[in-house]
Amino acid sequence: MSLVLQALVNGLVSGTLLAVPAIGFTAMFAVLRFPNFSVSGVATLGAFAGYVAYAASFGLVGSLAVAFAVAGAVGLFFDRTAHLPLVRQGALPAAIASIASGLVLENLVRLGFGNDLRGFDRPIARDIHIADIRVSPQQLETMGMALAVMLAVFAGLAFTRIGKAMRASADNPELAALKGIRPRRVAMMASFVGMGLVGIGGMLLGLDSSIDPLTGTRILLSIFASAVLGGLGSPTGAVLGACLIGVAEELSVLVVGSPYRTAVGFFAILIVLTLRPRGLLGERAF
Amino acid sequence: MTRIAFGRRAALVSGVAAVAAPAILRAQAEPVKIATLTPLTGAGGPYGPVMAKVAASVVEEVNAAGGVLGRKVQLVSEDDQTNPDAGVRAARKLIDVDKVAAIMGTWASSVTTAVAPLCWESKTFLCTVSGADSITQLPHQGFLVRTQPNSTLQVARSGEFMLSLGARKIYTMIPQTPFTQTTFDLMGKLVAKAGGTHQGLVYDDKKTTYRTEVDQALRTNPDMIFAAGYTPDTVVLLKDIYRAGFKGKIIGFGYSINQKLVDQIGQPEVVEGVYTYSPSPDEGSTAYERVKKATGLARPDPYTCQVYDHASLVLMAMEQAKVATGVAIKDNIRKVSQGGGKAVDNAVDGLKAIASGQKVDYSGASGPCDFDDKGDIIDCKFRYEQIKGGKFTLVKIA
Repeated sequence: MSLVLQALVNGLVSGTLLAVPAIGFTAMFAVLRFPNFSVSGVATLGAFAGYVAYAASFGLVGSLAVAFAVAGAVGLFFDRTAHLPLVRQGALPAAIASIASGLVLENLVRLGFGNDLRGFDRPIARDIHIADIRVSPQQLETMGMALAVMLAVFAGLAFTRIGKAMRASADNPELAALKGIRPRRVAMMASFVGMGLVGIGGMLLGLDSSIDPLTGTRILLSIFASAVLGGLGSPTGAVLGACLIGVAEELSVLVVGSPYRTAVGFFAILIVLTLRPRGLLGERAF
Repeated sequence: MTRIAFGRRAALVSGVAAVAAPAILRAQAEPVKIATLTPLTGAGGPYGPVMAKVAASVVEEVNAAGGVLGRKVQLVSEDDQTNPDAGVRAARKLIDVDKVAAIMGTWASSVTTAVAPLCWESKTFLCTVSGADSITQLPHQGFLVRTQPNSTLQVARSGEFMLSLGARKIYTMIPQTPFTQTTFDLMGKLVAKAGGTHQGLVYDDKKTTYRTEVDQALRTNPDMIFAAGYTPDTVVLLKDIYRAGFKGKIIGFGYSINQKLVDQIGQPEVVEGVYTYSPSPDEGSTAYERVKKATGLARPDPYTCQVYDHASLVLMAMEQAKVATGVAIKDNIRKVSQGGGKAVDNAVDGLKAIASGQKVDYSGASGPCDFDDKGDIIDCKFRYEQIKGGKFTLVKIA
């Protein structure tokens, strides 16, 4: 029993970290209307930007800010130059182009840093035992940062002008444009913030493990599955989806063994698309 | 300074002569093509580039000394990305487009398993450093040799070593590889024979955390954990084992638990006391010294040494056969690698001796390089090390 409980806790922790890039992914989908698979490359880039900043003693929060800014700026650049011009032809060409951008970014990182594994130079501490459950102090810290980032995003969406404009634009672009919201500006903002969150996600996930040019590719399916499960376009859904995927991935280790972990993401996507195409909290099917 | 006049007429004459020369002569002038297919990226990324480099150095030396069969040698290097899909694509290119006679240096067992059928079907010779038993059991018709001891030999030696350290409750944590099942079977038998118990689990090597897996392992109260993964996943695994407060012993493969892993974990106490073992290159040998010089490394890894030997053996087998094809290498490689004769430790000396009609017996940087009928090496040493204060200290070579 405690094994299951421990797996639940572990799943929630990894789910929280996964939620940050999942929010970014889903927010971009809501506004830009195509699944942006370049998040794999952007997450890697964010992780490396954060790594460089951390090595230059920017501190954790400072490094997260750097990861956000670099990933956001580069993600925005690729969106403007490569993806958005294709969206007019439909979501599919843009999605395919974004896969290519992801590969380009991954290999740019490889060009600069090589294939070597890198780890954030953080102290590794022994776990704290609460009853029969183990939690690592670092994981709690990382989780806390992820929660803070999420809070900031939700507050931004709820209370700021640009947040409201983004939600309006996602809900009904024509009506939003009639009301004087400039769709182009909102799209750029969504792209920057979304990609920035993906970059933060890459760094957060790399903090406890290690980073290399494939860091983003490894988590791409989990991010996508979280967003689809929660309902594409719904940030709250993405958080819920990420937690569910995180827990499901850990529990699957106990049931079928961890080599089948990747199947969890695919399985979740399959079930959602079959039974409830709009996802758990999505308002409509895209 | 003398200037050589090369007028239009001379050019015309030589051009005509070239066209008029028998086709066979022109074919002779074409370079002999061989290839490396090493992991320049992916989990094997730390090894592949040096492996390709050392093969290039052999080719360079041989070309400087006049080449093979009077022809220049051309080396084509491709990246298998430590990934069977990419490996197959690259092998297809090497076989169909470059038409190489031999492919050398496939590293991950999964890649070798995928690439091998393309090689034997196209009669291209394959030299590999992969350890999975299943590889030499493939119906390769002789078109494959490996310089890495197979996993049966590796696991048997590691198991004996663990038992010699007093371990009786061993838990193996391993990703899905072609040697996973062999490892479980063999460890089970070995440990049971010594009166101990062996358990284990297969994990996904792409996860970012192994907390749940470590919990499963620790619930069996093991006194030794065999961490049998590759470097990226083992970094995560060792951190999680440390966090969980495991007090027993840990052992892993030398290719996975290496200086890069220690640097990357960055905190010596996490890896303090961890044992590693790896097939050892023949460190005292002259060929090993040559590899050191060619790579500029103080301690070249076993795979680099093995690829040095691949390139040397392949070129010598061609010279021995007087033909530069995969079939010729298959039929002649054992004539230059074993069975007595003039002892040589590099391709240039070997090629000279063969050209003068001598029988040679190559011993290289990785060891004696003698192969059995299935393509496995017959003899090899192992090096056991322990990490102390972030440094690898030698326990023994045996």
